[in-house]
Amino acid sequence: MKALRYIIFSAALLAAMVCKAQDYKLPAYQKFTLKNGLTVYLMEQHDVPMVNVSVILPAGAIYDGDKAGLASLTATSLKHGTKNYPKSKLDEELDFIGASVSTYASKESAGLSADFAAKDKDKVLAVINELLTAPVFDTAEFSKEKKRTLLRLDQAKESPRSVIGSYFDKFLYGDHAYGNIVSGTISSVSGLVPDDIKKFYKENYIPNGAAISIVGDFNSKEMKGIVTKLFSDWKQGKQANAAIASKPITEPAGNRVLLINKDDAKETTFLIGAPGISRNNPDYVAIDVINTLFGGRFTSMLNDELRVNTGLTYGANSHFSPLKNGGTFRISTFTASKTTEPAIDKALEVLNKLHKDGVDEQSLTSARNYVKGQFPPRYETSGQLSGLLTQMFWYNFNESYINNFQKNVDGLTVEKAKDIIAKYFPKDKLQFIMVGKSAEIKKIVEKYGPVTEVQIKEEPKKAF
Amino acid sequence: MKRFTLPAFLLLGFLSKAQMKADDVKAFTLKNGMKFLVVEDNSIPNANMYLFYKVGSRNEYQGITGLSHFFEHMMFNGAKKFGPKEFDRTMEFNGGANNAYTREDVTVYTDWFPASATETMFDLEGDRISSLSIDPKMVESERGVVLSERSTGLENSPWQLLVQSVQAQAFQEHPYHWPVIGYEDDMKNWKQADLERYFKTYYAPNNCVVVVSGAVKTDDIKKLAEKYLESIPAQPEPPKVHTVEPLQTGERRIVLKKDVATPYLYIAYKTPEAKNDDYYSLVLLSDILSNGKSSRLYASLVDNKQLANSVFTSYDESFDPTLFGFYAVTNKGVNETDLEKSIYEEIEKIKKDGINERELQKVKNQKLIEFYGQVETINGKSNNIGTYEVFFGDYKKMFDAPAQYNKVTADDIKRVANKYFLKSNRTVGILKSQVDD
Repeated sequence: MKALRYIIFSAALLAAMVCKAQDYKLPAYQKFTLKNGLTVYLMEQHDVPMVNVSVILPAGAIYDGDKAGLASLTATSLKHGTKNYPKSKLDEELDFIGASVSTYASKESAGLSADFAAKDKDKVLAVINELLTAPVFDTAEFSKEKKRTLLRLDQAKESPRSVIGSYFDKFLYGDHAYGNIVSGTISSVSGLVPDDIKKFYKENYIPNGAAISIVGDFNSKEMKGIVTKLFSDWKQGKQANAAIASKPITEPAGNRVLLINKDDAKETTFLIGAPGISRNNPDYVAIDVINTLFGGRFTSMLNDELRVNTGLTYGANSHFSPLKNGGTFRISTFTASKTTEPAIDKALEVLNKLHKDGVDEQSLTSARNYVKGQFPPRYETSGQLSGLLTQMFWYNFNESYINNFQKNVDGLTVEKAKDIIAKYFPKDKLQFIMVGKSAEIKKIVEKYGPVTEVQIKEEPKKAF
Repeated sequence: MKRFTLPAFLLLGFLSKAQMKADDVKAFTLKNGMKFLVVEDNSIPNANMYLFYKVGSRNEYQGITGLSHFFEHMMFNGAKKFGPKEFDRTMEFNGGANNAYTREDVTVYTDWFPASATETMFDLEGDRISSLSIDPKMVESERGVVLSERSTGLENSPWQLLVQSVQAQAFQEHPYHWPVIGYEDDMKNWKQADLERYFKTYYAPNNCVVVVSGAVKTDDIKKLAEKYLESIPAQPEPPKVHTVEPLQTGERRIVLKKDVATPYLYIAYKTPEAKNDDYYSLVLLSDILSNGKSSRLYASLVDNKQLANSVFTSYDESFDPTLFGFYAVTNKGVNETDLEKSIYEEIEKIKKDGINERELQKVKNQKLIEFYGQVETINGKSNNIGTYEVFFGDYKKMFDAPAQYNKVTADDIKRVANKYFLKSNRTVGILKSQVDD
């Protein structure tokens, strides 16, 4: 009793202090647009003599069409050499100065991130410019990359955690472009030829619709000159199906179960999902706070019940994955095959409890303090800040997200929390995606909805 | 805000001109032997506390394997003032988050919090270090948690099984023989008395180094340490781990069966502990072999000959002699023995012809960039300072490391390759879907 009183007292006292300390503002930056439409962000950070670059391009997997994996393979292939830097020279010269430059595709966008010593900025920025504007797409390198990709896809099937996300997106988004599998599938990647990536590159790697952010130890005026000179010749383009992701997403009509059989599984790895939110949702911060309470931290309702109280799993959490035009929500955990039923039941019980009991003042205060307290380390490094700037571009938000974060968190009352839960956290029409040993769990999972069973070793279907 | 400046030439000076110096770390030791290292850094309004206990699976014996890691979990399950669940609840209520990790040699607890909550962190840590309560009910539910942790590791990566098995072959007597997570049957059999003895022996203030970095003042940290931690009594020094692994006198080989797309290969050579003079040369040798696409193994095996789909090497700091590992996944349609042979060919090239100066300069440059990455965050600072203090015997060695790497010559690299990469000194593990009956 004494201990409990102490905690409440000290917490109330500290809540007041916490607010002051966390008055975290985004450091100053400048933003401008080149004539070809490329948006540029510059932010000086002089803590370490390093520079971070982040580029975002409208070249993600949503543009794959029926060639799943195309965006991803195109992004990787940028590093197969350029006009002035054949691949081996590119690799060696970047390695020699300890610079890292990586290229990748995600669902909606493609990207490049780089970090390097400030003294090497002229050289590395010139390399980045060539990678983006003058890749050569060497045929021999393409065929090697394709082979590596195919084996990786095969290897991913050794790990439930590596494949479950792709099945989840397919199951939730159906034939919408957001259901496209970023990594591709064995049959789709097998069909890709060098001309596919050349065409994909030509159509989608365009400066209009792209942004570059540079954060680190440099002088902004000088950097503006360098970037303007380097990137102004990049030709504008026009994407044929730019708005493909704005098509409506079909919402599920009832509970459904997708069971992915893995014969040697000893665990059931599962996600319970539902439609989520898009990134520009006005309640984004409030939803983040409630999700923190529900499944976003160690003492969250989900982890407390499935790990701490019952020892059913090493961890349970929940997550919103917002994109431009929609998103998903998922509960995520795993458990031994024989405890599949209690684990799923517990997860559902916790979800019901969220709707039935809502959140009280004490736990809401805790969640508010937690998200505020853990906020500054998310934007501590130049790499984190350059990533944030390109996200601001892509999802069309500005520094008010950072600067008003605390205010928005504090504005969430118990009353408003009730509305947030009712509006954004699913109650029914749940989508269950499970990887496990069908022979042991199929009977059990039938209880949650009609079951579609597939084999992990088989090609994922086009849509479920 | 701390500022680091890059020397004009990477080779010269390395960190000599950098502004974060060993002097920026303030050290003090409490009367009970608990050592504190503090870095004042106001770049964000946050701070952290990293507690390094010198206990890990190395201090276990067969029958209680995995106990160090389990204990790490039990440290969150209630003490005198903050009962079950209250450690995490109090921490999160105050804006803090935490985690912990257990290795063969150490167990490390990490608290990340707004600087204004610093006193609460000391209160929480002081409570669990002075008066942890080991509730039998919590022991049972937590046992399920670590069994799940073990199982999900094995379920999601073939490396786990392969590395554990090779380690067990390479170390036949020394406690690096068993995995940190423990044997499943031992995990089901830890007794209350084992836990209580472990706590008393190893969770003593004199067996702990604490690092605090962030928006704090050293004087305040000292006052809080005195208030919350100094009264905890010191304990006799824990028993020494006396087992020395006997010299390996011949190649050891194992094969494991698991349903995988292509064979996994792990080759491990016995190499010395962090305090050995050859440590820095071996770290650079590892980078020459596998850091980046221009590295020897990647360029040869993945890119050029296409025998492997991926390849990497590792050599980590340790208290006792350890392993230098080569990890490779065979490409489709390739025989894993061809891949293995090619790895040896690359090793032999270095043993015979050494490396060139540009290669050496490359990995030294990479190390410097890596260093900046490590000290860019307050968490990186605490973790590195603590790691140098416990593994190398002095946090100041972290600031000396760039100079140590700089001193390594191409001849050193050739010398250590010849000294340790011997057939009789290696253990080879192959994991594949088809094995002979």
